[in-house]
Amino acid sequence: MNSLFLIVPIFLPIILGALSFLIPAEKKKQRNTFVMFTILCSSVSVWALALNTPQESLTLLNFTENLSFVLKLDGAGKLFSCLSATLWPLTALYAFEYMSHEKNLPMFYAFFTMAFGATMGIAMASNILTMYLFYELLTLFTIPLVMHGLTRKHNQAARKYMNYSIGGAAFAFAGVAFLIVNDANDFVFGGHITSPEDPTIALILFVFAFLGFGVKAAVFPLHSWLPTASVAPTPVTALLHAVAVVKAGAFAIIRLIYYSYGTDFIKGSWAQNLVMALAMFTIFYGSMTALRQKHFKRRLAFSTISNLSYIVFAATLMTEAGLLAAFCHLLFHSIIKIGAFFSAGAVLHKTEREYVPELEGIGRKMPLTFIFFTISALSLTGIPPFCGFVSKWYIATASMEAQNPFAIVGVVILLISAFLTAMYMLSPAIKAFFKRRDNANDVSDVKEANALMQVPMGICAVLCIVTGLMASNVIELIKGVLAI
Amino acid sequence: MTALTMYCVFTPFVAAIISALLGKYEKLRNAVVILATFISLALSVLIAQSPARIVCFASLNFQIGGFNSTYAIIAAFMWFAAALLSPQYFKDHNHKLSRYYFFFLVTMGATLGVFLSADLMTTFIFFEIMSFTSYMWVIQDETKDAMDAGKTYLAIAVLGGMVALMGLFVLYNITGTLMIADLYSAIQYVGKSTELYVAAFCLLFGFGAKAGMFPLHIWLPKAHPVAPAPASALLSGVLTKTGVFGILVVTGQILRDDEIWGYTLLALATITMVLGAVIAVFSNNLKRTLACSSLSQIGFILVGVSMITLLGEENALAANGTFLYMINHSIVKLVLFLCAGAIYLGAHTLDLNKLKGYGRNKPVIMITFLIGACSLAGIPGFTGYLSKTLVHEAIVEYAHLSHLPIITIIEWLFLFSGGLTAAYMLKLFVAIFIEKPTEETEKGKKLSPLSAIALIISAVAIPVIGIYTPLVEKITYPMLSLVNGHHFHHEIHYFSFTNLKGVLISLAIGILVYALFIRKVLVKNKTYVNPMDGKISLENQVYIPLIKILTAVFGVICRAFADLTDFLIFLTRKSVLSDAKEHTEHQRKYAYALGDVVDHVKHDKTHKNANLFVRVSETISKTTQRISSNFSFALFMTCFGVCIILVFLIISFVS
Repeated sequence: MNSLFLIVPIFLPIILGALSFLIPAEKKKQRNTFVMFTILCSSVSVWALALNTPQESLTLLNFTENLSFVLKLDGAGKLFSCLSATLWPLTALYAFEYMSHEKNLPMFYAFFTMAFGATMGIAMASNILTMYLFYELLTLFTIPLVMHGLTRKHNQAARKYMNYSIGGAAFAFAGVAFLIVNDANDFVFGGHITSPEDPTIALILFVFAFLGFGVKAAVFPLHSWLPTASVAPTPVTALLHAVAVVKAGAFAIIRLIYYSYGTDFIKGSWAQNLVMALAMFTIFYGSMTALRQKHFKRRLAFSTISNLSYIVFAATLMTEAGLLAAFCHLLFHSIIKIGAFFSAGAVLHKTEREYVPELEGIGRKMPLTFIFFTISALSLTGIPPFCGFVSKWYIATASMEAQNPFAIVGVVILLISAFLTAMYMLSPAIKAFFKRRDNANDVSDVKEANALMQVPMGICAVLCIVTGLMASNVIELIKGVLAI
Repeated sequence: MTALTMYCVFTPFVAAIISALLGKYEKLRNAVVILATFISLALSVLIAQSPARIVCFASLNFQIGGFNSTYAIIAAFMWFAAALLSPQYFKDHNHKLSRYYFFFLVTMGATLGVFLSADLMTTFIFFEIMSFTSYMWVIQDETKDAMDAGKTYLAIAVLGGMVALMGLFVLYNITGTLMIADLYSAIQYVGKSTELYVAAFCLLFGFGAKAGMFPLHIWLPKAHPVAPAPASALLSGVLTKTGVFGILVVTGQILRDDEIWGYTLLALATITMVLGAVIAVFSNNLKRTLACSSLSQIGFILVGVSMITLLGEENALAANGTFLYMINHSIVKLVLFLCAGAIYLGAHTLDLNKLKGYGRNKPVIMITFLIGACSLAGIPGFTGYLSKTLVHEAIVEYAHLSHLPIITIIEWLFLFSGGLTAAYMLKLFVAIFIEKPTEETEKGKKLSPLSAIALIISAVAIPVIGIYTPLVEKITYPMLSLVNGHHFHHEIHYFSFTNLKGVLISLAIGILVYALFIRKVLVKNKTYVNPMDGKISLENQVYIPLIKILTAVFGVICRAFADLTDFLIFLTRKSVLSDAKEHTEHQRKYAYALGDVVDHVKHDKTHKNANLFVRVSETISKTTQRISSNFSFALFMTCFGVCIILVFLIISFVS
C-alpha cells in the first residue's frame, strides 16, 4: 500500500471529529451514525494498513534537516494501533447507550473521535519528536473528556490530569531533546545510544524521559491523576484510562527503552534498577490500594495502575523476552480491563450504585454483566486458562531469565499482587452473586443492561477466553510482528 | 488413544454445558449427569488397559498408565457414585441445582485432567480450574456458614495456586522442562541448588494447601461440612488427593531421597495427623468429625510419603503402603460422606445429639457405615488395616535404620492417632446406630434404590481387598514409578503377630480414650458437649489478625506515599505561586480590639471605629495578598531591587 495512506487513520478522525461539532446537539441519531462511521472507517483503514504495510516512511514536514515529522508503521506500532482500532468501535457502541442520558454530547463525541486520531499518531510515529507531538495532542484531546460533567469535581480532576500531564511532558522533553541532539531521533529496534560522551547525563535524562512518559503510564510517584480522573464517564475511563491513554504511556516507554536508547547501554546501570524499582513498587502499591477502595471504579483505576506497571516492569527487564511479555500484557490487560470497566459502567448506568458493598445481590438481577465481570476478574488474577495467566507467565519467566537478581524480587511482587488482585476483583463478583441473607440491600428494581452494552462486554469476555486458549498462537503472532 | 483420553477428560465439560441447558427437565438432566460420569469412568478404565504413554493435545500433555490411570479411575468412580446419590439428596432442597450440577461436572473434568496430566503446567491449569469450580460446591447452600467457609476456601486456594505457580516458575527456570517424567534426569544434570529447594517448598505450599496439610488446613474443617454431602465426599476423597499427587511428584521426581524434604514433610505430616484426630474427637457434628478425620488421614498419608523419601532404596513398604492408604481413604470417605448424606436426608441435621439412634432399623446405612468406620480405624479384614500396617512397618523400619529416638516417638504418635481414629468412629457409630432415640430424633425415610446402590457399590471394595490381600500388589505396583518405589522383597504376612500388635495397641488406646475420655468428659447428662467449640482457631486467632495488621501497615505506608506528589505540588503552589489566603479570624479580632480601645478613648458607644478598623484591615490584607500573590508583583519586587542596586552603584560611582 502506498505510504500516503498512513495519514488516513490519523487525520480522518481528527478532521471528521472536529466537523461533528457542526451537527446540532439534538440530532442524536445522526451524530451517532456519523461518529460510528468515522471510527469504523479509521479502524478498517488501520487493519488494512496492518495487513498490507507500506514499507517506506512518509515524511509530512521537514522542520530542519534532522527534525522532521515522519510516519511509519512498524511491528510495535502495528500491535498498538490494531489493539486500539479494535477496542475503539466497541467502546463507541457502548457509549451510545451509556451516554444517552448525558448532556454535552457534541463535545464528548468530537473529542472521543479526535483522541482516536491522536492515538493512531502515537502508534504510527516514526521518530520520537513525532510521537511527542501526538502524545501532547492526546493530552489536549482527553482533558475535555475528563471534564465532561462540568461540575467542580470534574473540573478539579481535569486540572489535576492536566497538571500531571503537562508537568510530565516537560520531563519527557528533556529526554527527547537529548535524543534529538544525539542523532537518536528515529525509532530503530536496538536503539542508538551506545557510548555517549557523558554516560551519567545520558542516564539521568533517560530517567527523566521515563518519568515523563511514565505520567501517562501512571508509574509511581506520578500516578495520582488516574484514580481522580475516574470521575469521567465510563466509556472514557474504560477506553482512555484503561487502554488508549495509559497504554500510550507504556508504549512510549517501550519505544524509549527499546527503540531510542537501546537496551545495551542502560542494562545493568543504576538507571535500570531505579526504574525497575519504581515499577515494582507501583505494582504492589496499586494492588494494595485497590484492595482498600470501596468505590468500584476507583478500585478498578488502582488496579489499572498496578497492571500498567506489570507492562512497565516487563519493559524495564530490557531483554527480548521482556519486550514480548510487555506487549503480551499490554494486549491482554486492555481486553480484560475494558471488559471490567464496561461491567462497572453498566451497573452505574442502570442502578447508579458506585460502591462495592452496594453490589450485594445485584448479580442475580444482572447475571450476564456479572458473569462477564467474573471472567475479567479471574483473567486479571491470572487463573488459567484465561488470557491474564499467559501474560503473567511470560512476565515472570522473562524476569527469571533476565540475569538480574533484582528482577527475582519482581516475581515475588507479581505473586503477592496476584493474590491481592484475587481479593479485590473477586470480592465484588462474589458479593454480587451471593447475597447474605441478613443484608438489607434492596435489589428488586435492578434491571439487566441492554444489548448495546452487553455486546461489547460479551466480546471482551469471549476474547479473554479465546486468546487464553490460543495463547501459543497469539505469542507467535506477537513475536512475528515484532520480528524478535 | 489420544482421542479416548480427550473424551475421558472433556466429556464432563461438555456434559456440564448440556446439563445446564437441560435445567428445566430435572429427570433428563439427572440422567445426563449419571451417564456422563459413567462414560468418563468407562473411558478411564479403557485407557488404563493400554501401555503407559504420553499423549498430547494442543499444549496439554496427558500421561496414561501407572498412578495417573489408577487415580483417574478412582476419581471417575467416586463421581459416578456421588452422581447416583445426588438425585435423592437434592429432592427436598433443590436450591440452584443447575448450578450445582454444572460445577459438579466441570470439577470432574478438571480433576481427571489433574490426575492424567503428564507435565506440571497441565496439572496446574486443571488444578486452578478445579479450585475455583469446587468453590461453588462449598457455597452451594449460601448460608452464612457456607459463605464464610467459602471465603476461607477461596483465599487458601488462590494463595496456594499463586505460590505453586511461583514454584513452577523457579523449577522451569532451573530445569527447562515441566514434564514430570523428565524432571528427575534434568535435575540430576544441573545438580541440587537452593533454588531447587525454593521451587520444591513453593510446590509443597501450593499442593499442601489443597491436601489440607498443617498449617494450611484451616479451610478443610470449615468447607467440607457445609458442602452438600455428595460434594463433601468428593472434596474429602478426591480433591485432597490432587494435593497429595503434587507432593508425590516433588517426592519422586524433584527431591528424590532428600533428607531435608523428608524431615520437613514428616514434621508437618505428624502435626496434621495428630491435630486432625484430636479435633475430630471433640467434634459433635457428623460431617465435621468426618472432615477432621480427613485432615488426620491426610497426615497419615503424608507420613507415608515422607517415609518414601527417607527410606530411599528401602521404600517398598512405605510406597505401597502410601498408595494403598490413599486409595483406602478415598473410598472410605466416599462411603462415610454418602452415609452422612443419607442420614441428613431424613434427619435434616448433623448434630450428634439430635441424631441419637437415628440409624437403628436402617441396615444399608448401618452396614456401609460400619465398613467405612472399621476400615478407617484399621480393623483387620478391611483395607485400612493393610495400609496402616504397611506405613507403620515403614516407620518401624526407619526407626531401626536411623536410630533416631524421635522416629520412635513419631511411631507412637502414629499409633495414638490411629487410636483416636478408632475412638471418634466409635463415638459416631454408638451415637447414631446404637443409642436409644430421643424425642428430638426424627424418624427419617427410606433410601431410594439409586442411593442404596451408590452406598453398596462404594463400600464393597473395602472388605474385598482387606481379605484377599494379593490384590494389594496388583493395585499398587503399577503406581510405584511415580515415586520410584520398589516392589516388596518378600511376601508380606499381614496377619502375623508383629503386624497385628500395632493395630491392637492402637485399638486399645482407642477404646481407652472412648471409655475414659469421651464417655466421661465429653458426655454430660447424656448429651455430647464440645468444650473446645470455637475456642481455638488458627484462622481467627492468628491468620486473620496477621492479615489485618499487615494490610493496615502497608495501607498506611501506601497512603503516605499516595499523596506525596500531590503534597509537593500543593507545597509549590503555596510557596511559589502563593495562593490567596482567606482573611483570618485573628486579624479581624485584633483589628476589632484596637478599634474598641479607640472607641473607649472617644467614649463612642456605637463601635464605629471598631467596625471601621476591621474593614480597613480586611481591605489592606486583601490588597496586599492580591499584590503579593501576583507574578507581576514578584517582577515588580525584582525591579525594585535592581533599582536599589542601580542607585547604590550610581552613588558609589559619584562618590
